Amino acid sequence: MNDEIYYEDVEIGDDIESIERTVSLEQVRAFLAIRGGVKEPSRFTDEAFARSEGLPYAIVPGALNSAMLAQLLTSWSPTVYLKKFEVSFRRPVPHNTELELKGVITAKQVVDHEPQIDCDVFIESEEGTVHVIGHATVVLPMQSN
Amino acid sequence: MATEEDITYDRSLLGAEHHIGTFPITREMILDFAKSTAETHPLYSDEVQAKASKYGSLIAPPTLCNIFVDGLKRPDIKLTFGDVGLFASQAIENVSPIRPGDTLEAKTYLKEVYEKTGRSGKMVFVVWETRFTNQHGDTAVFVRDSFVRRNNPKK
Repeated sequence: MNDEIYYEDVEIGDDIESIERTVSLEQVRAFLAIRGGVKEPSRFTDEAFARSEGLPYAIVPGALNSAMLAQLLTSWSPTVYLKKFEVSFRRPVPHNTELELKGVITAKQVVDHEPQIDCDVFIESEEGTVHVIGHATVVLPMQSN
Repeated sequence: MATEEDITYDRSLLGAEHHIGTFPITREMILDFAKSTAETHPLYSDEVQAKASKYGSLIAPPTLCNIFVDGLKRPDIKLTFGDVGLFASQAIENVSPIRPGDTLEAKTYLKEVYEKTGRSGKMVFVVWETRFTNQHGDTAVFVRDSFVRRNNPKK
C-alpha cells in the first residue's frame, strides 16, 4: 500500500502503480465457494467443459476480474474511495497466467465539493493481450481540507 | 412475447422490478472475499486497523455484491437466441458502506435487450440493473450487468 495520496498530488496522464496477479484454480474455487451455486464441472474450473462451450480454456470468473481491478485502485492509496466502476470483459482471462493490472488518470474534477479522479484501467497478459478494460471514478481527499 | 429485429424475448419484463434476494453480511464473508481475491487493503482485511478508521469496523470491498449478483435467480426473459451466455460488462456505483451485520435486499429489473454483430457473428446483450439497500432502507450499491448470448461455435 502506498502513502496517502491527495487530489493535488495527481495529474491527468499519470499512471496508477501497476500490480501483478496470477490466478490459480485454487483461488477460483475459493472465490466460487463464497458465491455458491456454481455447478461442477463449470467453465471456471474445467478445461474440457470450457471448450465444450466454445471457450479456449477454463476462465477466471468475471466477478473475480472486477474485484482485482478494483484492488488496483484501492491498493493505490489508503485515501482512495472507489465511487464508480465499469468494466468490459473483452477476452476470457486464463488461469495460471501472469496478469498486469494497470491504470492511467484521464480526468480530475470537483463535483459538489467532492474531489474526483477518473481513470482507465486494464488487465493485460504477458504478451500484451488486453483481456479486461474499465473506467473508474475515485474520490481523493484534498490536502487543503 | 414480442419480436424485434429477430430478437424474441418477454418484453413485459422491461422495467419491471423484482425482489431477488436478502443477503446477510457477515465478518467472515468480508474476510473470505478479501482472502480469495488477495485483497490487502486494511479496511477490508484487517479488523484492528478497520476499527480504528473512520468507518469503525471492517467494510465490504467495493465489488462484494458481485458474489450475490452472479448467483441471482433473475426472471427468465425467454430469449430464444443463442446457447452460450457470458458476462460482458459491469458497472458498480458504491453509495454507502456495507458493514458486517447489515442485511441487504436486492431488487432488479431488465433494462434493455439489444443485438450486435461481431467477429464471431450475431450476439444479443441482456442488461439488468440491481439495487442493494440495507436494513435502514439506504441504498448501498447499484450494479448494472450485461450478459451476452451467442451461438456456440463448437456446435
